[in-house]
Amino acid sequence: MKELRDLTRKLLADGDAGVVIGWEEGRRGARPAFITTPDDADKLIFDARCVHNLANYLNPRKPQVKALGKPAVVVKGCDAKAVAGLLREAQLTRDRVILIGVRCGGVVQTPEMPAELTEATVATRCYGCDVREPKLVDHLVGDARPEPPVTAALDRRIAELDALSPRERWQFWTSQLAKCTRCHACRQACPLCHCERCITDKTQPQWIESSSHLRGNFAWHLTRAQHLAGRCVGCGECERACPVGIPLSLINRKLQLVVKDLFDYTVTDDPEVPAPIGAYAVDDKQEFIE
Amino acid sequence: MSAATGTALFLSDENLGNLVAEIIAAGRRLVAPARDPQAAVGGSADYRYISSAAELAFGDSLPRMSLKGFFLPQSEVLFKWHRKGADVEIEAVPTEFPPQIVLGARPCDTAALEIVDQVMDWGLRDELWFGRRNATTIFNLSCPVEDASCFCHAVDLNPDATRAADGMLTPVPGGYLVESCTEKGAALVEGHKALFESGDTGAAAERSAAAAQYRAAARAKVAADLQIDTTRIKEWVGDHFDDEFWTALGPRCNGCAACASVCPTCHCFDIVDEPEGVGHGARRRNWDTCQTGVFTLHASGHNPRADQNSRFRQRVNHKFFIYPSRFGEVLCTGCGRCSRVCPEGQDLAEVLACIDELARA
Amino acid sequence: MNIYQPHLMNVVAVIDETPDTRTLRLQFKDPEVAAAFAFKAGQFGEYSVFGAGESTFCMASSPTRPEFIEASFKLAGKVTNELRQLNVGDTMGFRGPYGNTFPLEQWEGKNVVFIAGGIGLAPVRCVIWNVLDLRDKFGDVTIIYGARSVADLVYKRELEEWAGRSDVKLVTTVDPGGETPDWKGEVGFVTPVVEKTAPSVDNAVVVLCGPPIVVKMTLPVLAKLGFADDQVYTTLENRMKCGIGKCGRCNIGPVYVCKDGPVFTAAQLKGLPAEY
Repeated sequence: MKELRDLTRKLLADGDAGVVIGWEEGRRGARPAFITTPDDADKLIFDARCVHNLANYLNPRKPQVKALGKPAVVVKGCDAKAVAGLLREAQLTRDRVILIGVRCGGVVQTPEMPAELTEATVATRCYGCDVREPKLVDHLVGDARPEPPVTAALDRRIAELDALSPRERWQFWTSQLAKCTRCHACRQACPLCHCERCITDKTQPQWIESSSHLRGNFAWHLTRAQHLAGRCVGCGECERACPVGIPLSLINRKLQLVVKDLFDYTVTDDPEVPAPIGAYAVDDKQEFIE
Repeated sequence: MSAATGTALFLSDENLGNLVAEIIAAGRRLVAPARDPQAAVGGSADYRYISSAAELAFGDSLPRMSLKGFFLPQSEVLFKWHRKGADVEIEAVPTEFPPQIVLGARPCDTAALEIVDQVMDWGLRDELWFGRRNATTIFNLSCPVEDASCFCHAVDLNPDATRAADGMLTPVPGGYLVESCTEKGAALVEGHKALFESGDTGAAAERSAAAAQYRAAARAKVAADLQIDTTRIKEWVGDHFDDEFWTALGPRCNGCAACASVCPTCHCFDIVDEPEGVGHGARRRNWDTCQTGVFTLHASGHNPRADQNSRFRQRVNHKFFIYPSRFGEVLCTGCGRCSRVCPEGQDLAEVLACIDELARA
Repeated sequence: MNIYQPHLMNVVAVIDETPDTRTLRLQFKDPEVAAAFAFKAGQFGEYSVFGAGESTFCMASSPTRPEFIEASFKLAGKVTNELRQLNVGDTMGFRGPYGNTFPLEQWEGKNVVFIAGGIGLAPVRCVIWNVLDLRDKFGDVTIIYGARSVADLVYKRELEEWAGRSDVKLVTTVDPGGETPDWKGEVGFVTPVVEKTAPSVDNAVVVLCGPPIVVKMTLPVLAKLGFADDQVYTTLENRMKCGIGKCGRCNIGPVYVCKDGPVFTAAQLKGLPAEY
């Protein structure tokens, strides 16, 4: 913690960064912090409650963050993958951001939970994590942490759903998507949802109806899922932001598995590796159009 | 707002179940906190239309969404249109609704309805809102207070408020103490009076004492949460539109507007036309929110609220300055849902405490 | 009554003002509605194309000519695009009139200065005709109107009519580069032309409408010419959906533009945050 705070003080004092974006203690657990003066550096914390993907604040369409100056962002391994996504998609250039990597031993599901990781509290995304120590960084802080308890709950649930008949699966998703209020919190919380104008806000033509009936809700979630296939880093922020509890991670994780199967691609924190949505190979599988 | 004043009756747990059964058997729609029967894992209760007493989840935490959707649906048809050559026929929707009963509403959710009544009755009266209001009988559940994000007492309510309610249930050992506070409420009790035990038995005094204790404990719990003066806050917010306070709050907010979805008083809406086929369609009203960029975006591309600082400021402004300036009371019932649901830890109670301190300085 | 259900209107005339601006002349289908309908200068309505939605426009015609209403709109979004597809005989929807009004009764006996930029002439035109139809009740009438180019001037026939009237002083201008070889008006932005024209402040009121930039630039010039803030009236055009104080979209500070406006004096404007 001292290492992170000292680095923050130095980056701000030297004028290398205008703001350091990390985590602080809020009334309901850890939360994003925007540190703009060295004196506030001691507010920063890092522990297993720091679940937020702060790469979201690097979205170029956030003028209120831009106004604070050049950002230095604290990233876990999974967050670094989202930064790589923004770099890969030309939303950000590497010289415009300072990345402070933290060695991570897994996080809990919500920032309000106690920091102790148990099989019941560990976030599903931490299962199979391959970046406990982020590589895409300018500074790396913190000690290596032990592996979190294993929970394959998400993949188990996907297997259960896959085992259902199409009709049963349809009923499950109908009951889930019926809850959607079309607030688009999922989009806002997503670090990779950075379109200048989201398709659901477009009216000429109105590709996606904005009403929260099943027609509009299915159109929205199917389109978003397709657009995130091979781009989603699996941070689960959409699901955490959803005020009505739609299990969006099931959709995103399933698509990760599909993309892995079809294109042998796993989302990475190396921005030089192209994502399948932006790359073409002659041996790309084409079963999906048959 | 004081507690209900009608004569207290006793409704046993068993008879609550019978009451639900009788209401449903009579063909009335019944709304109550209940679990999602489809939910894969637990989850908290939501207000839903229920079909049996088994679904009731009075003991659960505060329902995730407020009651407002039963009066201002997330999406509702305003009318349908049918094209006939160059002509158009309008198919109106009813503005009168079949009766519905709400059992176990939280006092903050019920009070919110009467606050929103003011804007819905301002100038032209919104009969779609009032049609549902008039058709509904609401019995509150005296609230145990959820957690430290509750602050109903700071906005002139309390956990056993009966504002806008027709009656209230207070948990006591073995059942509920039931008080009605309107004619509608009394009529509901009268219609099922065999289920209620009158207040003149030996156990009544004990139950009254238990109820009083329950309420006092809840009041004490919430009173510890937030000490503010909403008049002082209104003045400060009105006078400090350009204060840098707002620029410190905006960056954390990601504009997801989950706060507005779950808020019992946020009532802003959009109006859209949706074709339902060739030559016919519906005009709908959908929930909308000042937290999104497109809310104020002009067709020309100009946006008077171009960043999240100004959008977050608008939310606080509307609730604590605009609404009290216009209607004499804040547009907030202190339910704390916005703080609980915010994925980034933005905390309205904390924001209000900061403003109150600034205003005092 | 469902307050969101519009009245049906017939399109009785379609007038192309400029390449991207069109005026629709409308009559109520239901004669009872037509008989009961009345509005005042400054008010607005919600116009709808079924299937596309509603859009907010001021009444561009004058209440002194009650046999029809007119709306002028510039092609900008989904609804205006669909409005452009309408022909004479087609049906559209209308809700209104909503909002406050220009206090014309209070202006009787005064000189009236109209200043408009671009499509901003639409709300001003309503007042101009209202004043000219009651010509005896008002003093001098001055109209200063500018557009980007000659092609972008709206209500061209009416501009000619006003130019030909001895009881109206009309000054037209186009932005530099927007003039044609035979253009006889001024060349320059509206603001400097107002300064050059220098209408007298004595016993006068000003109606100023246009894009936000024109209003923001011209207000200080009017102050410099000696106009007090309560002599100057303008309209605000915040985005609206319901038009009747419910949907929460048009707040500026404590003000609901749809209910407290759209007409504001410069004095009122100064008391508001610049969120427009």
